[in-house]
Amino acid sequence: MASSTEEGQVISCHTLEAWNEQLQKGNDSKKLIVIDFTASWCGPCRVISPVLAELAKKQTNVVFLKVDVDELKTVAADWDVEAMPTFIFLKEGKIVDKVVGAKKDDLQSAITKHSA
Amino acid sequence: MAQSGFEGFEKRLEMHFSCDDPVIGLGLRRLKFESLEEILDAVQCTVVSAVGNQYVDAYVLSESSLFVYPTMIIIKTCGTTQLLKSIPLLLSHAHNMGLDVCGCRYTRGNFIFPKAQPFPHTSFKEEVLYLEESLPSNLCYRKASLMPSKQTTHSWHVYSASDEHHMVHHISNDLFTMEVCMTELDRSLAGKFYGHPGNDNSGHIAGREMTMATGINDIIPSALMCDFAFDPCGYSMNGIDGVHYSTIHVTPEDGYSYASFELMACTDDRNDIDDVLRKVVQVFRPGTMSISVTSANCNMSKRIKNVIKQHGLIRRSCTIDEFPAAGGIVFQTFTRRK
Repeated sequence: MASSTEEGQVISCHTLEAWNEQLQKGNDSKKLIVIDFTASWCGPCRVISPVLAELAKKQTNVVFLKVDVDELKTVAADWDVEAMPTFIFLKEGKIVDKVVGAKKDDLQSAITKHSA
Repeated sequence: MAQSGFEGFEKRLEMHFSCDDPVIGLGLRRLKFESLEEILDAVQCTVVSAVGNQYVDAYVLSESSLFVYPTMIIIKTCGTTQLLKSIPLLLSHAHNMGLDVCGCRYTRGNFIFPKAQPFPHTSFKEEVLYLEESLPSNLCYRKASLMPSKQTTHSWHVYSASDEHHMVHHISNDLFTMEVCMTELDRSLAGKFYGHPGNDNSGHIAGREMTMATGINDIIPSALMCDFAFDPCGYSMNGIDGVHYSTIHVTPEDGYSYASFELMACTDDRNDIDDVLRKVVQVFRPGTMSISVTSANCNMSKRIKNVIKQHGLIRRSCTIDEFPAAGGIVFQTFTRRK
């Protein structure tokens, strides 16, 4: 997959393999990774999704991944996701921040802080 | 008292739905966000922040809050919003999902600026008429009542309607809803709900700062919160804790200062309620306070009176009444000991 088609997009991971692959790729790139834990039926997630898409377009130095908690139940459990949307910020394999809820300002601020 | 200003006192609408299908699943939570926006548009408010857990979706609005459960929706709005206008759209969207209304409760305190309210909120009479006309005939048990308080400016308006199957609070006998309205807030405490000039001060980050600076985060520490600070002043917070929720809204301006605290929780959280009320009074130190508790039985009133008394406020009135779909409502008012 050419990286230029993924830049500026939120990458959805539908399988465990894809998830692991994207995570590894992101960690290797040393870029900030923002993981959006979401669900198709989640109202609050729909509030933030256009905001996330905009942020992904602008911040091409950040990797944006999307995980559906129903599709990847084990991943959601592994990462302690109890409410949605939950955004986890990873840098070189370590969790550096977490935003729970459709909070535009918190998301923007965390991205700015950790992508510097 | 100011001549005019922002109306902090909210209008609250709670609607219960039922379904022929025994498996309700997500129910109302499946309502498309576009449909929710359409409903909120009719009320003239927008979503500012949101979060959902296993049981409920909670939205902070530009003029208060929205909670969506599978079979219950609660909308609480302040200012000059036309809350009741959400009813026809809500009914039709729910109907399209196979859900039909089986209970409705509308409550509010006394507006500080009643003349500023638009139709149908120009009077309780108009609101009741609108409700009567908007709700379907299967809600055959209806009651409207003004619960008075002789000694304070606070009174409580209630309209409740139910069908024949859901005469009592249908979720559970252990759950109660507490609606607290506070006026004449302590000036310096209210001052904490103003943004600081020069910083980027409204929004989610400023909201979080206010939550911490005022001690609101301590009221229900286990709650997952969405907080928001308005420009140049004002604050809203939704907290979800399992199936329970809490919400706080503050209009800090002197002359018409107002804060509300609402909680839906279990009656057997004994000590917790005392603690919660104590902390609420400490955060706002209001001059006048009214507390309305809706539950299947009415045994919390004495405990509430005793807790509030410990914090410099004396009970001035206590009214109890029963309503279809709601159960019992106890309305108490308190003013600061002089």
